[in-house]
Amino acid sequence: MKFCQYPHWLVKRFYNTREFNQVRLILRKFNLRTVCEEARCPNMSECFSKKRFTLLILGNKCTRNCRFCFVKKGKPILFYEEEVDNICQAVICLGIKHLVLTSVSRDDLPDKGAEHFARIIRRMKFLQPSVVVEALIPDFGSKEALIELVVKSGLDVLNHNIETVPRLYPQIRPDANYHTSLKVLKIAKKFGSLTKSGLILGLGEKKKEVKRVMNDLSKIGVDILTLGQYLRPGENSLEVKEYINPQTFSYYREIAEGIGFKYVLAGPFVRSSYLAEEIFTAIKDKFRSI
Amino acid sequence: MPEIILPELGEGITQATISYWYFEEGEHVEEGVDLVELATEKTTFNLPTPCSGILKKIYANVGEIVKVGDLLAIIE
Ligand code: SF4
Repeated sequence: MKFCQYPHWLVKRFYNTREFNQVRLILRKFNLRTVCEEARCPNMSECFSKKRFTLLILGNKCTRNCRFCFVKKGKPILFYEEEVDNICQAVICLGIKHLVLTSVSRDDLPDKGAEHFARIIRRMKFLQPSVVVEALIPDFGSKEALIELVVKSGLDVLNHNIETVPRLYPQIRPDANYHTSLKVLKIAKKFGSLTKSGLILGLGEKKKEVKRVMNDLSKIGVDILTLGQYLRPGENSLEVKEYINPQTFSYYREIAEGIGFKYVLAGPFVRSSYLAEEIFTAIKDKFRSI
Repeated sequence: MPEIILPELGEGITQATISYWYFEEGEHVEEGVDLVELATEKTTFNLPTPCSGILKKIYANVGEIVKVGDLLAIIE
């Protein structure tokens, strides 16, 4: 007998390894938070076991109200200078080769947190130039100077998620704007960054709408695309409208590859930071030769 | 006798529902193979066995809700 709550393809292996526990300990020791934990990502044991994680900087409270996200909302706590040192120490101590940083939206700060991203990246690159840094940024109000600051701090990949189709923005991302997000990626591209974006599916979007978003992203030169399934992080979160099957993910991947993305990762458990190191390794030579 | 305990599957996940046992009591299990499938609030997890041996006893049946730290099975 089997108790079925989710479609059969939504099964994730749990890796209860030494590394998984070591990463958790080190993160606690340096007082660092990850979006992996905050968002209850199902890939956490797998990623931590490979010493991968996505650090959540600038506090753990977000000034926006995206309905798919589980990060707490409200007035953010003040960020602190030690965060820069703690991140660098933890990265060196764990031997991390590919660091992924993300943050809550900090619309309350004049620079929206851009300088803090840049400070961490500069310091990391100074201490350990071989560490690849990927920043999954909020939209910074699509202010060119703020995006330029982050891109030119030594960043390797600029990631900004488009998240969903334009029609669902008012419902899913009420404080964000589809065109603002596209502009962020366009500006990053203008400053020469390798760019990455992603969508979470299963929120009620239609196939033709997904294709339109892929076209829009491709037109502005986004290099890497990730497509994953929305999974409800808690009882009070938005319900899943549809479980996208693996065949549909393959269908989207083929279309995206056909329209020119350099790398597409699509599947039920794909998140924008999932296998980030492998993706970067796979396309970096291609990118540098362009 | 290694005890299989429900680990913390993720931040804030305190319980899970047993959805499938891949083996029956008395069967031999190899280290690393999936032993039990667990449904949580967000998704389903497969928990692999930490060691090889005989699955001596199962303490939670399919459909039962178990909490982090609960004994799920014993391997001998
Ligand atoms: S996929 Fe991303 S958010 Fe999820 S555990 Fe891995 S690094 Fe963290």
